[in-house]
Amino acid sequence: MSTISLPSPASVPREVALGAVHALPILAGAVPFGLLLGSLAAKAGLTPLDMGLMSGIVFAGSSQFVAVELWGHGAPGLAVVASVLLVNLRHLLMGATLAPRFHGVPPLRAGLALFFMTDEVWALALRRGQGLTFGYWFGVGLTLYVGWLSATVAGTLAGALVADPAAWGLDFTFIAVFLCLLAGLWTGVGSLPPWLASAGAALAVNALTPGGPWHILAGAVAGGAVAAWRGKAVS
Amino acid sequence: MDGMMVDGALLAVIVAAGLLTWLTRVGGPWLIARIRLGPAANAALEATPGAVLVALVAPAALSRPSDALATLFVCLIARRVPMAVAVALGVAAVVVLRRVM
Repeated sequence: MSTISLPSPASVPREVALGAVHALPILAGAVPFGLLLGSLAAKAGLTPLDMGLMSGIVFAGSSQFVAVELWGHGAPGLAVVASVLLVNLRHLLMGATLAPRFHGVPPLRAGLALFFMTDEVWALALRRGQGLTFGYWFGVGLTLYVGWLSATVAGTLAGALVADPAAWGLDFTFIAVFLCLLAGLWTGVGSLPPWLASAGAALAVNALTPGGPWHILAGAVAGGAVAAWRGKAVS
Repeated sequence: MDGMMVDGALLAVIVAAGLLTWLTRVGGPWLIARIRLGPAANAALEATPGAVLVALVAPAALSRPSDALATLFVCLIARRVPMAVAVALGVAAVVVLRRVM
């Protein structure tokens, strides 16, 4: 796999626009959750400015829900920070899979680009494969960033505006997006063993610690272990 | 509460959480660039994206029969229609299925 290319100057607007367009269905699902997070944050005593700073600096949805929930219940700051870190540890694994694409990229540019790496940016970048450019990356990343920042601040301003996104099936948006991206990774029945191992481990761990982030790490490790064992058997 | 003032303790939490989150994002490529991987580790890394996606969706996708059916539906159409269409149809399907199941 080659390094992410810098688009030729002429193609930058096209690449950025393509990234923005690909981010739109994800944004449509994320905005109601941003509004919901904002209204929860208002209840937890955060001002719109607090919410904007959190979305702008942390920019990691699930971990922000955890942070707002804990902060609202008066948890110590250190516990809030540790929980955010725990929820976001999966980024290490995601980033590792993109390592060849960042090989030799100047640290400043890599550091800036990776700031925008959410689950969705990562998954769309994988899907783009060899055609991945920084224009596309920032097109996706900035669209989601501006949308998430606006939605969470608007939600804090509006207070209890969005009652329950799940009532509109919007919680399923993320499942559907991830399923589509998963389908893109399908290379035949050989794909199945690590996926089944991951599903089994994730379900088991989720049953033990419901709602926690551990099931993601458990699934990733189980799937990786099965693939490593099979890789060894083949080579 | 004054909207132009940020609580110092909260600001410290936000900045610390943001810095650590950024480190989780840059840490993957940084670590991989500094270690040599054998064939088994490479196979594990190649399988990681799919495994992470499966782990992300599995608990919610199988949380109730309606969502499991909608998941199956999206899997069947995902490779046949554009992503935006598959997502829209999947959300529509889950709304209907949750009503009837």
